[in-house]
Amino acid sequence: MKSFPWSPFAGTLRAMHNVVERILNLLAFLLTAGRPVTADEIRMTVSGYDQTSDAAWRRMFERDKDLLRQLGIPLEMHPTDAWEVEHGYVVPSDAYALPDPGLTDEERAALWLAAKVVHIGGQASGPEALFKLGGSSLTVAGEPLAANLGQGRDELAHAFTAVVERRLVQFTYRDRARRVAPYGIVHRRGHWYLVGAEDEDERIKVYRMDRADSLEMVGAGNAFDRPEGFRASDAIPSAPWEAGGSDMVARVSFSPEIAWWARRQLTPNTAIVEAADGGFEAELRVANPEAFIGWMISFEDGAKVVDPPELRDRLVARVRGVA
Amino acid sequence: MLPWVIANPGATVDEVCARFGYERGDLASDLDLVFVCGLPGYGPGDLMVAYIDDEEVVVEMADYFAQPVRLTAPEALTLLASGMAVLSSGQAPPALERAVTKLQKVVIPDGTDALVVDLSEPELVGDLRRAASDGIVMRITYTGLASGVTTERDIEPWSVFSTLGNWYVRGHCRRAGDERVFRIDRIRAADATGARFDPPAEVPPPVVRYLPGEEDVRAVIKLSPRARWVADYYPVDVIEETADGGTVVRFSAGDPAVVARLLLRLGPDAELDSGTEVEAALVDLRGRILGHYAG
Repeated sequence: MKSFPWSPFAGTLRAMHNVVERILNLLAFLLTAGRPVTADEIRMTVSGYDQTSDAAWRRMFERDKDLLRQLGIPLEMHPTDAWEVEHGYVVPSDAYALPDPGLTDEERAALWLAAKVVHIGGQASGPEALFKLGGSSLTVAGEPLAANLGQGRDELAHAFTAVVERRLVQFTYRDRARRVAPYGIVHRRGHWYLVGAEDEDERIKVYRMDRADSLEMVGAGNAFDRPEGFRASDAIPSAPWEAGGSDMVARVSFSPEIAWWARRQLTPNTAIVEAADGGFEAELRVANPEAFIGWMISFEDGAKVVDPPELRDRLVARVRGVA
Repeated sequence: MLPWVIANPGATVDEVCARFGYERGDLASDLDLVFVCGLPGYGPGDLMVAYIDDEEVVVEMADYFAQPVRLTAPEALTLLASGMAVLSSGQAPPALERAVTKLQKVVIPDGTDALVVDLSEPELVGDLRRAASDGIVMRITYTGLASGVTTERDIEPWSVFSTLGNWYVRGHCRRAGDERVFRIDRIRAADATGARFDPPAEVPPPVVRYLPGEEDVRAVIKLSPRARWVADYYPVDVIEETADGGTVVRFSAGDPAVVARLLLRLGPDAELDSGTEVEAALVDLRGRILGHYAG
C-alpha cells in the first residue's frame, strides 16, 4: 500500500514540510471559496505557488492535485460561469466529508483490531483510514488471530468503487471481453468473486476476480439498479460443485477412514445415511460436474460415486486419463 | 487528527498522542505547521491557530477542516472487509458487529448486502485461538493432508490464521521438535494438556511458507492456459511460458501423492513431463480409484 506524508495526520517526514503546508493552504482555499476557482487564481492566491516558473508551477500543481486525490479528496472541474468558457476547481463538500458513522471508542477499537489482523493483497490496513474515523488508543500486540484475504488491493478497490457508485466495469474473462453491471463482491472459500449481470442479459453471474483481466470502470455512476432484494451472498453457493449450469443428484459413499473429514465439508442439510462400518452415504446436488470430480479425487479411494452412471463414467474417464 | 481535535475541544496531549499514534514532539511540530497555514491573505486573522496550552491541544480558526475526509475506496474496502472477515470467523466481540453495521451504512448506503466476506470457521478455531492467547499446550489428533497418516502430537499454538480459504494453526510441535503448520480441518480433536508455554513475542504473518526440502520429490508439469492458476496457487518455479499461453512449471512437494492428485484433477489441462516418483504415485492412485469401479 502506498502510504503518504499527510504530515498533520501522521507526524512524520519533516522533509515534506513545504508540500504539506502548500496542500493545507490549497485545501483551505478550495473548501472556503464556495465557487469554482481557476488554476490561475490558485497560483496567484494560494501561498506556496508564488515565485515559480510556469513549468515548475504546472508540475507542482499536478503533483498536489494527485496528492489530494490520494487522500480521498474529490477534486472536480466545473464551469466558472453560465457560458462555460472557463473552468475551475471545486471540492464539493458533500463528497469531501465522511458522513459520520457515529462509532463509539469501543467500536473503533474493535474495528482497529480487525484491520490489524486481516491482510488483503499481502498487507494489513494502515492507520490512515481509522484516523479519519477518529483514531483509537488501542495498541495491538501479540494477537494470535490472523486472516489473509489474498488478491491485489487495487483491482479489488476498483471493483468495490464500481459496486458502491454503481458504475459498469469491463474486463476479460475466459478469453472474452465483458461489460458487467457489478451488483456486489464476495469473498468465500479463499477467493474474491464479482457478482453481476452482463449487458443485455438479466441473469446474475459470478466471476472469479483473479481470473478477470484488465478490469476497469467505464462510464458514469448510477448506471444501473441492483435487482430488488439482491443479496450478494445468495449468488455464491456454499460448495464449489453447487455452482454451475447442470442439475444432477449424486449418491456418494465415503469410507470410514475419511468419513470425519468428508462430513466437515458437506453443506448443512445434506441427506446422509450412516453405514455400519463407520462410513456413510450422501446425496449431493451437483451443478458443476468438473468441480465435483475434483473434490472426489481429493479423497483418493476413500470416496466412490454410486450414482448416476453418467457422473461415474465421467470420473472413471478422468482418472483413466482419456478425458 | 484536526477534525477530531476540533470536534473535541479540551483534549489533552496524551489523549491525542495515544489516539493518533503521535510522539509528543511530532505533535508539537505538526501543530506549528498548522499554525502557519490558512486562508489567502495569510495574516493573523487568516491563519489557523494551533498550539499546546498547559497539556491541552488547541486548534481554532480552522472550522473548514472540522469534517473528516471521506474514506478512499481501498480504505473503505479494507476496513469493512477486515471487520466482516473477523465477524464471520465467529471470533468477534459484539462491538465489532455494531461497528461494521454502522460503517456499511455510510460506505454503501444503498446496498448493505453488496459486500460479503465469509470465512466459515471450522470447529476448533476458537479453542486453538484461546490456547494461543493463554499459552496452553494442546494435544491434537492430526491426519496429514498428503500422507493420510494420523498422529497424536503436543503442540504449542502460536497463531491461528486463515489463508486461501483454509484455517491453519502455526506453532511449535513437540513431537517434531520444530515449527509446524497444521490445517485445522485436518485436526480431528484438540484437548488442553494442562501444560503451559510462553507464547513468542512476535507472531509470524498469516501465510503458509513452504520451503522445498532436500528429500522433496520434483516433477516438471506442462499446464494448459486453463490451468495457469496452478502457478499462482502452488509454490512452483515457472520454467517456461509456452506459445499457446500455457506454462511449464517445476513442482516440489513433500509427498508425490499431492502432485498425483492434482494431475488427476486437472485431467487434460496438465501433462507430467518428468518425475519418476510422481509417475509411480499417479499409477498407484489411478489403480486404487479405478478398483472401486471395476467390473
